[in-house]
Amino acid sequence: MLLAVFVFVVPAAADMRFQDRGLYMNSTEPGATTFYDVSFRYMSPQPVGSVDMLFCDDPIPYRPCVKPAGLDVSDATLTGQSGETGFTISNKSSNRIVLTRAPSMIGSGNSTYRLSGIKNPTDTNKSFSIRLRSHTSLNASGPQIDFGSVKGQVAQGIVLQTQVPPMLIFCMAEEVEYSCSGTNEEYYSDMGTLSPQSTLTAQSQMAVGTNASGGFAVTANGGPPSAGTNVINALGTPTASVPGTNQFGINLVDNTAPNVGFDPEGEYANAIAAEGYDVPDKYKYRSGDVVAYSSNVSLMKKFTVSYVLNSRADIKPGVYSTTITYIASGRF
Amino acid sequence: MNRFKSIVLAVAAALVATAYAVPAPTTSAASASLSIVPNKKYTIEPGRTINDKLTIRNLDAEQPLELTLRVVDFTFTDDGGTPKLLLDENEPQTTWSLKPYLNVPQTVSVPPRESQTVDMSVAMPQGIGGGSYYSAIVYSSGAPDGGNVGLSASGVTLAFVQVPGDVKEDLKLEKFGAYQQASGDNAGGYKYFNTNAPKSLAFTLKNSGNVVEAPVGSISLKHMFGREQIINDVNPNGSLALIGQSRTFVSCIKLKEQEVDFEGQQTQTKTCDDSGLWPGYYSAKLNLFYGQNGNRTQEINSDASFWYLPIWFILVLLALLSVVAFFIWRLVNKVQGKFGGPKVKKKSSRRR
Repeated sequence: MLLAVFVFVVPAAADMRFQDRGLYMNSTEPGATTFYDVSFRYMSPQPVGSVDMLFCDDPIPYRPCVKPAGLDVSDATLTGQSGETGFTISNKSSNRIVLTRAPSMIGSGNSTYRLSGIKNPTDTNKSFSIRLRSHTSLNASGPQIDFGSVKGQVAQGIVLQTQVPPMLIFCMAEEVEYSCSGTNEEYYSDMGTLSPQSTLTAQSQMAVGTNASGGFAVTANGGPPSAGTNVINALGTPTASVPGTNQFGINLVDNTAPNVGFDPEGEYANAIAAEGYDVPDKYKYRSGDVVAYSSNVSLMKKFTVSYVLNSRADIKPGVYSTTITYIASGRF
Repeated sequence: MNRFKSIVLAVAAALVATAYAVPAPTTSAASASLSIVPNKKYTIEPGRTINDKLTIRNLDAEQPLELTLRVVDFTFTDDGGTPKLLLDENEPQTTWSLKPYLNVPQTVSVPPRESQTVDMSVAMPQGIGGGSYYSAIVYSSGAPDGGNVGLSASGVTLAFVQVPGDVKEDLKLEKFGAYQQASGDNAGGYKYFNTNAPKSLAFTLKNSGNVVEAPVGSISLKHMFGREQIINDVNPNGSLALIGQSRTFVSCIKLKEQEVDFEGQQTQTKTCDDSGLWPGYYSAKLNLFYGQNGNRTQEINSDASFWYLPIWFILVLLALLSVVAFFIWRLVNKVQGKFGGPKVKKKSSRRR
């Protein structure tokens, strides 16, 4: 009985997704007039009389359709077809094309339709979609048979002078201006004489900002201080400064033990000190680590890097030094 | 004549003395303030060359900017968008390296407060396979002299080239759900039970293809009582999953867009605003699309769920339950008192 109910309740043929969907744009230049090859495989074994192609920002078929900026398909012509053929364009607007033919049963294999005279969208930051639906009717009305979307995107030309280019601004010295317009031009710090009783400290500053939507990352690169083969170990995890032990570490916040550094300066909250380098009185250094980043556009922000150097009583004499290279990059 | 000789010698001696007295120029007299383009993206067919420009700006008002340029490979650091630069000279070339095809000058000098535009070119050879190729251009300022800690500043431009053709595209969904961003001592990550209102949803995709992918799509989020929210653009920044990377794409439930002034230019920034979620159980549906031009458009669909139960809500719920329990207990006692309660017969033991 249950089985009989199940058999009768489940529809005999539900709509399915087109398979092997694809879009080839002969030119991806924004605003260019070009041809598109739209490919897909019909799935439901039913006669097809029309195919609806709706050009929207969003590929999801049941969402409101927002026409991609700059796109125009109102002058499109069907200049080629393979697989399921016999179609002509029966209806079109600036973002919709309806292909029609006398309803006939589909075969197997992929079908491709070449639509010429399409004006590309202009927004390079956004992809667009063609929502596809097949119908038995001639005018893409009534119940759909198969559905699915294909995705496309225009690519930026090499030079577009009208657009604001993304830029990454970075400066670094012992002291820097918030806007990077000046530094004190000191690029090294003499921290003094090592002693097991006290901690040597220093600080440097860097300012960074970007209008790139992906944000930025600043990494610190270079070994810990060394004199010949003798090395003062870097702190691999955030650790308090302990005089009398061999320690080298940095952080990017205001500290009291020892009293060194400042919190990041700048109202904008996107740019932050990275995890492990953002805890007061805890220091760490690992070459290649990200020390500050922003995952989005970030106005200029100034970071003060604090350095601590401790040594044991039996440390080998010598001049312990290192060069730390701060590398600012965009994110992907 | 002797007098002339002595004058010449005196002048020569003075010149030599001056040369030694003037300190040798050091890198500390150069700028370390630069502005560069953070990334470049091209689509280049096999056998074609693209010529482009790199603009470098020296922000320092007094000192020239002396830079050396080199091209290095990069990969990913983690599931985010931070590049891991392969800076070691002996680092083996990656399979996606752009190094053999990318030409940039070795040095650039930029006067104070000026910009310098230098030529660069990317030449993709005939017969190169379709896919993504990428490397990084590193601009290095000089290393300092002296001190215990020397500082050196570098900037990086990430360069991506897409070669059209048949490519292998393979994204697999690894995770999808509510996502808490790292803040302070709280590590970020996917959370099923949330006492703080999640501001974002996220999905992690493993890219096993030979092309970088920037998926698009949407998420619908539904509360247990039916209230629905749609995240229309799950990748508004066009973030990429690099080759081999498991990339986490974070989508704000409520996106806050703001126009800001950056160096005199209006720029739009997007951040996650308070989501305004009600306490309760949520289900989410993910619809993703990806595919390069001329290749199949592929789709990923997935469902996820999570709880948002703030502490105040749990306390209120417990208080309400306590009140209900108390009234039930009172009611039971009243009923028992009215009807005399269950009567228990005393067992009497007989002594034989």
